[in-house]
Amino acid sequence: MGVISECMDNAELSVITFAAASHPNDQCGANGLPLTPNSIRILGLFQKVKSQKHPRLCRYIDIERGKHERLMVVSEFHQRNLKKDARTFKGESEKLLIVAYEVLEGLSHLNDQGIVHRSLTPECIQFDKQGHVKLAGYGLYHMTDQGTSVAFPIGSPAYLSPEVLAHGPSLIKEHGFTESVPKPYSSPKCDVWSLGIILLETFFGIRLWYQKSLSELLKKTLEFTKSDVEPFKHIIDEHNLGLKLQSMPQNLQDFIQNCLTGSVSKRSSPKQLLQHQVFCRHQNVIKTPYIDLLYPFSAKLRCEELEMPKEGDFEDEHEEPIRRRPLEEVYYLWQRAGGDLESILRKAELLKAKPPVTILPHFVIEDGETFGQSRDSSDLLDETVILLNLDQLRQRLKDIPEEAYYPLLEDENSIQGNMQAGPEQNSEETSETSRLPLVIKEKDVEYQFHRIILFSRLLKGYPFKRPHLLKEARVDIPPLVRGHVWAALLEVEGDVQEQYDRIDKETPTATDRQIEVDIPRCHQYNELLSSPAGHAKLKRILKAWVISNPQYVYWQGLDSLCAPFLYLNFNDEALAYACLAKFIPKYLHNFFLKDNSAVIQEYLAVFSNLIAFHDPELFNHLDEIGFIPDLYSIPWFLTMYAHVFPLHKIVHLWDTLLLGNSSFPLCIGVAILKQLKDRLLTFGFNECILLFSDMPEIAIDTCVQESIKIFCMTPKSSLYRQHAKQPAKPEPVMSRPNISYYSTDYHDQPQNELSLDPIPLEELKSERCPRISAEDLIELGELKGPAQTKSPTKRSREGKPKLLMIDVRSEEDYLRGAVGGSINIPHSTAFSADGSLVPCSALNKLNSCRNLVKVIIGNKGRTASNFAGDLVRLGYSKVCVLYKGIDVLRPTGLLVVPSTDLR
Amino acid sequence: MGEVLQKNFVFAFSNQGTKSTLKVPIPIPLDTTAESLAGRLIAAHNIPCYVEADLLKKLKEFLAEETEKWQDEFAEAAVKKLRSGSVSVEELARQWTKAYTKEIKQYSPPEETSDEVIFSEVYHALIHSDALETLFNLEHQYSIAVEEIIGSRNWELETTEKKHGKEMEQALQDVRLHTDEHVNILAQKHFEKSQELEVKWNKELKELQNQQKREYREWVMKVYEDSSKRLEGTPAYVQKVRALSRSSSDRSSLTQTDVGPMPPEPRLEESFTVHLGAQLKTMHNLRLLCADVLDLCRHRISNLGGLIVPQPQRLQTAMSLYSNNLCGLILLVDNRLNFYTGIKRDFARICENSTDFHFPDLESQFQHVEESVIEANKWRAERKLNEDGDRISVKSSSSGSSETQGEEKLKRMQNGDFYITKHSNLSEVHVVFHLVSDDSVKNGDISSRHPLILAIRNVLKVCSRNDVTTLTIPLLLAHEMSEEMTIPWCMKRAELVFKCVKGFMMEMATWGDSGSKTIQFLVPKELSEDMFHAFSNMLPQIFRVNNPLVIKSS
Repeated sequence: MGVISECMDNAELSVITFAAASHPNDQCGANGLPLTPNSIRILGLFQKVKSQKHPRLCRYIDIERGKHERLMVVSEFHQRNLKKDARTFKGESEKLLIVAYEVLEGLSHLNDQGIVHRSLTPECIQFDKQGHVKLAGYGLYHMTDQGTSVAFPIGSPAYLSPEVLAHGPSLIKEHGFTESVPKPYSSPKCDVWSLGIILLETFFGIRLWYQKSLSELLKKTLEFTKSDVEPFKHIIDEHNLGLKLQSMPQNLQDFIQNCLTGSVSKRSSPKQLLQHQVFCRHQNVIKTPYIDLLYPFSAKLRCEELEMPKEGDFEDEHEEPIRRRPLEEVYYLWQRAGGDLESILRKAELLKAKPPVTILPHFVIEDGETFGQSRDSSDLLDETVILLNLDQLRQRLKDIPEEAYYPLLEDENSIQGNMQAGPEQNSEETSETSRLPLVIKEKDVEYQFHRIILFSRLLKGYPFKRPHLLKEARVDIPPLVRGHVWAALLEVEGDVQEQYDRIDKETPTATDRQIEVDIPRCHQYNELLSSPAGHAKLKRILKAWVISNPQYVYWQGLDSLCAPFLYLNFNDEALAYACLAKFIPKYLHNFFLKDNSAVIQEYLAVFSNLIAFHDPELFNHLDEIGFIPDLYSIPWFLTMYAHVFPLHKIVHLWDTLLLGNSSFPLCIGVAILKQLKDRLLTFGFNECILLFSDMPEIAIDTCVQESIKIFCMTPKSSLYRQHAKQPAKPEPVMSRPNISYYSTDYHDQPQNELSLDPIPLEELKSERCPRISAEDLIELGELKGPAQTKSPTKRSREGKPKLLMIDVRSEEDYLRGAVGGSINIPHSTAFSADGSLVPCSALNKLNSCRNLVKVIIGNKGRTASNFAGDLVRLGYSKVCVLYKGIDVLRPTGLLVVPSTDLR
Repeated sequence: MGEVLQKNFVFAFSNQGTKSTLKVPIPIPLDTTAESLAGRLIAAHNIPCYVEADLLKKLKEFLAEETEKWQDEFAEAAVKKLRSGSVSVEELARQWTKAYTKEIKQYSPPEETSDEVIFSEVYHALIHSDALETLFNLEHQYSIAVEEIIGSRNWELETTEKKHGKEMEQALQDVRLHTDEHVNILAQKHFEKSQELEVKWNKELKELQNQQKREYREWVMKVYEDSSKRLEGTPAYVQKVRALSRSSSDRSSLTQTDVGPMPPEPRLEESFTVHLGAQLKTMHNLRLLCADVLDLCRHRISNLGGLIVPQPQRLQTAMSLYSNNLCGLILLVDNRLNFYTGIKRDFARICENSTDFHFPDLESQFQHVEESVIEANKWRAERKLNEDGDRISVKSSSSGSSETQGEEKLKRMQNGDFYITKHSNLSEVHVVFHLVSDDSVKNGDISSRHPLILAIRNVLKVCSRNDVTTLTIPLLLAHEMSEEMTIPWCMKRAELVFKCVKGFMMEMATWGDSGSKTIQFLVPKELSEDMFHAFSNMLPQIFRVNNPLVIKSS
């Protein structure tokens, strides 16, 4: 049949607020660390509730933490509910049975997910525009960890089942030393009781024990546990409903009686009740399949159940186009249109706290226990639901034409063709915004609107639409869809959930201890990652990775590496794992070997060369004080900067990092150093060590732009590493379209005699300058004419480094044959006694082209690299050495006899 | 949660004709998904792929059945307790009723808004309106009246003392006429006389302050009503205040010459901005301040050509009184709850210098504190008993001391305890943390586990919970310089306090409060300038100030 409709339709967004219970003073958990604040526990548990999607359930959208343990929960809301519409259901047994069936469907789905509603009331049974049930309020019991994280009891007293009441409320003590009270765990069957009461009340149009006081009402229900009277009969008798009962059909009577069974073991569960004979007629009528067709990372046939919208589907009502977007999108845009939960709740007087000065404690003893503090009445639970007003959002989006909700996606060929012309198919305004700083773009409603719609459509077409997705990701990635876009960039494919399920994440291993130590130190300022739910997930993913990669060991830092993926895919552990599993081989190939020194050392040596290449001044200074990359940059590379930056910066950094190849992270390192250059130049060794022991604030946007520049100005072969991942087999071109010269890895290209070969580490470390392969030289120097270029980007003109070739052989050799366009500065006569360059015409040429990449061409041996090193010493930037010297070019037939004026 | 059970899951399948049986214990309730458990079983037991689907199906059925059983048993257990009578229906109903009425607004009796709350709201509104100036003038007029009385009191007390001194001197000189007995009687007389005087004056002072407070509050409420009634024209309160100031102007003109503008003492101070945190950094402000601790409380009034100009700090303090940005101060005191001696007396004097229109006077606040101290000590004793009980202590009820002694004991405070008072009439402070300290703090090598250091953490915690965003801490844990405070002693102490406070500030982020804080480190006035600079050099090293974000505009 159908699928879960992702549209908002006539649903509303609503917010409720409550305060988490604060912990007694200074208690520690089992691991000896201070207890996580309850609000964070709730925030972590909420995530599971948020991921519930079912046609009979209201969606939970978001949770926000305020000051002083306050929480604000946003969820779907429908105006109509069973309490409001009670009259239309009075005496209508058929209608009520349909409601009951749909409620049970919702409950049974929740039970499958391990969630119990516990606070079922007529208000919770809401109806959508077709009149189908939408259960609300089911998340509170789960997210508060069976009600233990809040001070207030969960559920409405009239509808609580006897066994729930028999457990007693969870009591929070005012002062420390709590004895361990068992969690009042409620079984799914308590909701069945509530349903029974609701049906009974609605059918007769009464409220049970309406006149009684709260405690008497509670006693009434509690007494059912003691007597053997059937609750149903008892209720009927007490309310004098004996006569009216005749109007209730026998099947409904049976059903309600079944719900109101006093003994829990005899009462049916929601799942069993769905099979109740009352529903035998309905079972075929109401069928609710639920497949999430929008999830791009599964192996299921996503189009199998797809139904094309019929003609007139959208015509019949004057629905706003925004209501055809999913709720979470609407909420996301609402926030960007200036929506703020706290101010809304404040306006509704739901956050009316007393001035803090009036509720200070009187006395605090030496271990922090406080006395004489009066309770702030605003901490009490107020169950009022506040609707979010969408007017402001509507206002902001009113000028957007309806076509914009369905942007046309061009097919593959036109994408390729379009590359030259640029991606300007969006409105001019959008493209203008796209050039603004990222932080501004992420807050712009209209821009985000266009981007989200575009990306969610592209994601639906993944992996087919991957090239297009890549192209758009180069502009920016909207935060709402970042998790999935990253997975797409990392080429995650296949049934990730199934693969993940098959990994043993439970059996204890030797690394468990280290993992347990690292997790409570990993990005704990983040609410999700510091929640117990987050800890458990991180642990499982790490264990899954360790056990799936027996050739590697767990290195500290793997936790940081995993954190961004978990943060973005908190409810999709499998996807977070899949991303990690793709990320590590791409960027950190062999970094996690038990003995990774060769890999790391080579990486650092290349990094050092790169610093010399781009900033000789800084390089010379750091070299002089002995502040080598080994001392500071290992955690950068081992965690791809995830250990040194906060998450909100990591995501922006990785947005770009994921688009680049495995050498790109080196350029980020140089960009960071360049940003700190002024300070580093004035610092000595000790100050440098201190500076990096705690990473200083870095302007990440600038850093990203700078690293892109650095990357573009570096010949690819200069970043060659023998330990980088070698291509397993040539990939079919179609699946990974070559979008630009820079998105592919140097290491992925076929090797030939003009390429670089592995260079011994010692040699690499002893030299200051990177190498360039003859291949790159030919290409970048356009020695075979511009047609040869592999770089079809529109930026090819300014984005590619230009070369100045310096032949350092003797003049004699040079005149016999050299690379066309090269200048000659013989090394033997180049330097005067004091180490400076001897003036000559070639030197003038060199000095006038300081910004070009200088390729030093020599014979075999070290003269060329020594010469290059001296240039660095003199502050010349962008110096590299032709690998294997002039000889490598001889077979190419590119050597010419230079005209003498170019010397 | 009930106990986790182990249940055996049995799965039989045939493999190339041979029948195999898988039997594994499975914990109920399961804390992972059935799919994940199945995956694990398949991997661990080499289950052939063609029975995988079957295994998962069987496993799911098994789990559903066993989990339901477990849940039923858990629920029945509670019911059984009720049936057996170990818990009564009444008791449970009472507990639930309490939970509902105490925690949920819908069921709790409506809280009547107290006068205090209304007054605080009204005052907060007024002080952020153009009534601000008039409010200040009024407060000033009142404070002059108070100062007048205090002046007279001090004068009379002084003259009586002088007179008594003279009489006593005479008596002692003339030994023949006056026996020891006579001298004693005279001394007794003098004491009684001064006591009497003091009581008289204090009563008068208190009466005046009570009256002022009443008037002030009435006036504030009235003005608010008026101003909310009519929004146009000259607000009534302006006229009212003008009249008021005129009527008292003749009085004040007399005293103004006496009071005079006190020259503000030059303070040595230096400010820093620091970023704390490993990855995500929060910004805080630090200030190193060399001043007398009571200068932060003392209210100075500048009188510019007959115009009363309150200090800007005072203005700030008044405007933020009911806000979420309070200012606190740690005052080191001894373990007796009174204000007879030393810094406690000086502080009390400053408090009584003007009427506190918002909070009870110091004495009544101390009464509340005392109640809490008794409650706390009872709790402490109970906890100790509990802990001893765990260790099966043989020291059973050795505390057979008398009632009164017990009472005294209950009022005793310990090193590291602190009591809190709130004030609206101090210059830069709303909240004072009176931190109990003994002589152990003079020791040169106290550790980071010293009660006083731990107490600073507790103070910071109370601050973070109650929106005290500016806190002043005596850096050396002393208000005055003394002999043992040598240069090395001071350096060591400053380093300890800096480091500990840094740690606490970083910890504060986990207490659920991410806002930025201002911490002022206060050093005694008598500290040498060199020492001050030594501290101001030490601070940035410990707090790593040198990590600013530098953005260059290109």
